[in-house]
Amino acid sequence: MKNNLRVERAIKNITQEELARIIGVSRQAINSIEAAKYVPSTVLAIKLSDYFGKTVNDIFFLEESD
Amino acid sequence: MNTNLLLPYKFRKWGWVIFIPSFILGVLVLFLNVQFDWLGSKVFSIYAGSGLKILNDRDTGQFFSIISGNYTQTFVGVLCLVSLMMIAFSKEKTEDEFILLTRMDSLLWATYINYFILIFCFLFFFDFEFLYIMIFNMFTILIFFIFRFNYILYKERKNMPYEK
Repeated sequence: MKNNLRVERAIKNITQEELARIIGVSRQAINSIEAAKYVPSTVLAIKLSDYFGKTVNDIFFLEESD
Repeated sequence: MNTNLLLPYKFRKWGWVIFIPSFILGVLVLFLNVQFDWLGSKVFSIYAGSGLKILNDRDTGQFFSIISGNYTQTFVGVLCLVSLMMIAFSKEKTEDEFILLTRMDSLLWATYINYFILIFCFLFFFDFEFLYIMIFNMFTILIFFIFRFNYILYKERKNMPYEK
């Protein structure tokens, strides 16, 4: 699964650390999601997209391999 | 998605505080036969003998008896186990689903490595040498887990881009 979390974060001008604190996860989690190394749970995906005022599909999308 | 089975974050620090002296003591007990007399000359035992009675009629073993012995090894061993569990299973500062996955992954990894080494030793060590390995084996699964879990988190931390 791919995502444009890094782009959304840049638009809001917020660091990984700050985003992690707001959402209530570790910075490692945000970093791994951005690096597409970790697929977040539905709950976390909704929390993230809620924060950016988007739907989950605006931020996360399937790849061909999924 | 947090599990309630983890210990509070601050247990980690206390785990180390207990583990380091216990480990040093453990080495002294195991290799230099250090023994504290104040830890008793009699111990309670559920079964003591030279083999299980049900397996061998001639055995003189006894159930639930007080036998001569000393609690030094027991005491140091239990301290090591408890402190290692405190280090291994206390929460991270921010415990989240990613950390939990890393934790489960590391636990599985540690179990594989531990049993792989144990099977190897089972095949090539016998008698008292194997007994020694079983003693180490009581601790190694926790040690492998702690090492691997913290290594992964350290690697993740190091790979993170620098931000203001």
